[in-house]
Parts: sequence; structure tokens; C-alpha cells
Amino acid sequence: MPSRTLAVGRVSLEVRQGIELWLHGLIVLASIVVGLGVSVLLLVVSGIDVSNIFEEFIVFTFFDSAGLADVLLEWAPLILVGLSAAVAFRVQFWNIGIEGQFVWGAIGTTVVMIYDIGPGWIQIYLMFLGGIIGGMAWIAVPAFLRLRLQVNEIISTLLLNYIAALFVLNQLFGAWQDPAAVYYKTAQFADYQRLPLIGWGQIHVGLFIALAAALIVWLVTERSRFGAYMKFVGSNPGMALASGIPVTLTILVAVMLSGSLSGLGGYLVASGQEYALTIYVAIGYGFSGIVIAFLARNNPAAVVVVSFLMAGLYVGGESIQVFYGLPEALIGLIQSIIVICAVGSEFFVRYRVRWMR
Amino acid sequence: MVEFIVNWIAFTPVFAVPLMLASIGLIINERAGVMNLCAEGIMLVGAFAGVVVYIESGNILALGTLGAIAAGLVVSALFAFMVVTMRLNQVVAGIAIVFFASGLTGLIGNPWTERAVEGFTKVDMGVLSTIPVLGKIVFSQDLMVYASVPIVYFVWRFLHRSIPGMKLRAVGENPQAADAAGVSIEFMRFGAVVTGGALVGLAGGYLALAASKIWVEDMTHGRGWIAVALVIFARWRPGRAVLGALLFGGIEALIPRIQAVGLAVPQYLLLMMPYLVTLAVLTYVGLVSRTGSGAPGALGLPYVREDRR
Repeated sequence: MPSRTLAVGRVSLEVRQGIELWLHGLIVLASIVVGLGVSVLLLVVSGIDVSNIFEEFIVFTFFDSAGLADVLLEWAPLILVGLSAAVAFRVQFWNIGIEGQFVWGAIGTTVVMIYDIGPGWIQIYLMFLGGIIGGMAWIAVPAFLRLRLQVNEIISTLLLNYIAALFVLNQLFGAWQDPAAVYYKTAQFADYQRLPLIGWGQIHVGLFIALAAALIVWLVTERSRFGAYMKFVGSNPGMALASGIPVTLTILVAVMLSGSLSGLGGYLVASGQEYALTIYVAIGYGFSGIVIAFLARNNPAAVVVVSFLMAGLYVGGESIQVFYGLPEALIGLIQSIIVICAVGSEFFVRYRVRWMR
Repeated sequence: MVEFIVNWIAFTPVFAVPLMLASIGLIINERAGVMNLCAEGIMLVGAFAGVVVYIESGNILALGTLGAIAAGLVVSALFAFMVVTMRLNQVVAGIAIVFFASGLTGLIGNPWTERAVEGFTKVDMGVLSTIPVLGKIVFSQDLMVYASVPIVYFVWRFLHRSIPGMKLRAVGENPQAADAAGVSIEFMRFGAVVTGGALVGLAGGYLALAASKIWVEDMTHGRGWIAVALVIFARWRPGRAVLGALLFGGIEALIPRIQAVGLAVPQYLLLMMPYLVTLAVLTYVGLVSRTGSGAPGALGLPYVREDRR
């Protein structure tokens, strides 16, 4: 095979025929280090002490009991959104609407509380189902539009985020508003409508739900026939169709799974953290899911690891934000810088770069 | 009722022009084969830069407008470097830049937040402006509304009636063939992304300086995404993009009109309208386009000479 090269100014790019695993890992790692370096630089420019950055993001988050509890609390929904994105991306369905599905998961949870559906002891389970159904319902529309009418799912899922957020506002400033609350949210969930705490910080059983979900998704994608279908459809849909694989059905099931995972995330936050439906229930989770799945290369096991680190970023970022009075945009900005660098690593993975004389 | 309709139509251009400029900019991008999903981010940075330069220069509108264009140039140059020069995944790069823009403007934007600006004002055309109905609709708009007409015409003329424009479209349709014919793919694509990005930045600046007359965090509220949808609706043609922008501008202009006359429509459901209509339009396009979407053939595909497709 002839080597394929192209020139960009004085730089020549040679398309690699293959890449050693260690080099690939090294490049990705280096890119993330660069991203973190740029982020630290940004924080320093914003007027934060370097030693404080180290303390807030490492010492007080991972090496402090209360901090670690916060990280584990944040970990659970992040695992779910990461899995949600990974499952959809695996079949080349760009689900950018995780935030909307998350919101609808929280709505599905809250509906059980608002209308007091079923006897008390069963409600926490009904909420679980409500979360799944909410998330699935919200992804069903873009799934249908994409699979039947070739409507671009990036745009449809994104538009549905705005619609979901406005719907929540409509309910919170209207029918579902708790007149006793200081800011806009529903009434608090009763004790039996909350996920039980495990006795360390605010950590609740939702963490086990998320980890179980990760195990199930891993079994499905890596150990089942359906997972093999997903891989085939994701890498070459035309060939998959020609080989008699039910392409549309595979995409549909994967996408529904993606929606239900996001919805489950909404259930965890509504029933385990906020104990209510609030305006802020889903903020930031959509992009976080995309970031986690991207960094984890859509691998469920890697999602679990990456979302743990992301939870550390959340907790450290939050305390820095509060302490220095920085805007909430900070975490998203750091995430986007890391992603931009990680996307950039793709370049060095694909091409060998040489200087030309 | 007549007054309501006249007011509504008169307010439409202010809302239509940002969408029009953004979708025209995106058409230049995508005609060269680059799927630009960071319109929302470029608009946001344009809006921010427009307001900041306007305020800091002591309310000089021309400088504010130039600031928005320059910001659009810078952000889209970053995007172009990623997807054209480095040939990275256009979807992921685009989405990352949207959040980068939102985070950056959110982080540094505080000192300029919620400071009302005068921005674009209506041009007074004397007698013409006093003509009933027509005066209000046609002869009382601001400068950018009038300027957008030649801009759109020029872009159409460039894309469809000039040699460089034809080369640009060739790059988007079939980069292999264009490359073989001696067209520089990288130059064309980089140029298209940056030029289009400047227009998208201008769209954001106009949005802040004319429509909302204020900078607030994440103020574009999905208009960049609506512009991306508009391009699909327009089948990548500037003329149809103008029609689409007027349609969406009309819907956006309807919201404050309905609120002004005090109709009892729930506020947040009203605000959903642009997004619902966008979805409906995309569905409609999906239903009717049996003969293909009209998308450029190589849209979204990075080009590497002799690479497998």
C-alpha cells in the first residue's frame, strides 16, 4: 500500500497505517494534560491561587471524607448520562438531548409525587419507572423523526432541550409550584418518596443503581449479540443492512436505552438529591454526558472511571465557584477545553507529523 | 387588528435579520463541505463582543458591529483550524466550541451583564416613514436590515454566479474532483468557514445590539441551532434561507406582540413556539424530500487526499 501524505505549509502529514496502543494512550493522555494545563492557566488568570486549585480539586475532593462523599454523590448521575451518550453514539445517533431526557426523567418522577399515585410504599418504585418512561418518551420523538424521516437528530434533540426546560418553568411557575418555597420548585418529596441514604454524607442507593446500570450496559454492549449488532451498525450501517442485521431496530433499541438512562439520571437527582423538581435539576448534565462518553470512547467501563473524575471536577469546581464568586459557566468551560484538546489528539493519532525542509 | 398586524410585520425584520445572516453564513460554510454546528457559540461570542466593544468605545455602533464580526472571525478560525487544518470530527468539535463559547462569555461577561444599550435605532426617512402601513414596515427599519439585502444578494451572486463560488461549491460536492482540478481544498474550506463565521458573529452582534439591546449570559437561546435547521429547510440556498428567516423572525416577533396586547397565553408555552415550529419545519422537510435533501455531497467529511471514504 502506498503511503499517503499531504502537506500543510511546511508540515507534512502522513496517514498512519496503524498505531501502537501505548503511543495512542500516550497521545490521548498528553492531550488531556494539555487541557488541564490550559484550564489551570485560566483559573490562575481568573485570580485563583495555584495552591488553592490543587487543594480544591485534589485534596478536598478525593482525600477528604466529606469531599469524597460529595464526589460519590455526584458520580451516580454522571455515570448514567455518560452511559446514555455512549450507547447512542455507538450506533452513530448523536443524542445531544440528554439534558431534555434528564429533565423528563425528573418530571416522570415528580408526577408520582404530585398526583400521589399508588400506595406510599410502592411510590419510590413507580418513580423509578416514571423516570425511565419520561426519558424514553422524550427521545422517542427524535428517534422516530430520524429513523422514518431522516431528520437530523442533533438539531431535534437539541431543540427538545429548550422545550423541556420551558415546560418545567411553565409547571414551576404554575400548577406545580410550592407556595411555601422561597424559590421556584415543587413541594418536597415525602420520606418514603426519597432514595434511602447509605449513611455516608448524602450518598444514597442511587449510586448502586448507577453502577448496576453500568454493569448491565457493559454486558449488553460487550457480551451480547445485540452489542455486536450495535458495533456493526455503528461502524458500517450499509454493510450491516446488507448482512441482514435489523439496522433500524438496533438503532431504535439503543436509542431508547440511551433515553431511559438519561431519564434514570433525572430520577436519581429528583428523588435522591433535590427531593423536588427544580429549575436547576438538569443543568450541565447534558454536555457532561457527551464529554464523558467522548473521553471514554463510548466504552461503558471507561465511562465509570471518567465520570468519577468528572464528579471530582464538579465538586472541586463548585467549591471554587462559591468561594471566589465565579459564575456557574466555569465547569462547562473547563470541560469544553478538555474536550477540545482531546478531540485534537485525534489528529496526532491519525497522522504522523513531520517538518519539511 | 390591523394595527396589531402592521406592528407585527414591522417588528419581524429585527428578529429575522439575525437568523438570516447566521443561516447565510452557515450556507457559505456548508457549501464548502464543512458541517458547522458551532453557530450557537459563534453568535454568542459575537453578541458578547458587540455589546462589550459598543459600551467600552463609548457607544460607537460601527465599532460594536466590527467587534462582533471580529469575534466571529476569531472563533470560526479556531473551528476552521480544528476541522479543516487538523481534520478533526466536525460534530464533536462544533459542539465543544458551543460550550466553550458559552463558558467563556459566562466567565468573563459579568461586568457587562444586563446593561441596557441603545444600539441600532430606526432610520428616519422623513416623509417616507410617515406613509401609513408601508412607512412603518418598509421605511422605519434600522441600518442593518437594509444592509442585509445587499449582503444576501452578494453571497448568492458569489456562490451561484462566480468562478470562485463555483469552486467553493465543488469543494463541498466532490473534493476529490476539485482537488484534481487544482482547487486548494484547505484554502477554500478555511476561507468559507471564516467568512461564514464572520457573518454568524455579525448576526449575534446584531441580535444583542438591535433585538434584545442587552447582553445576558446564554442570550442566543438556541437561535444558532435554529439557523442550522434553517439551512436544512433552505436546502442550502440563500434565497430560501431568506424566506425561512422571515418565517421564523415572524414567529419570534409574534411573542412580544402577543404579550403586548395582553392575551392570556401562558408565557413559557409561548416561548416554546420557535423551537416547536423549527421541529415542525424539519419534519415537513423530512416528509416532502423524497429526492434527497439538497445537502452538499461531502458535507461533514474531512478531506484527506487519497483517503478512503
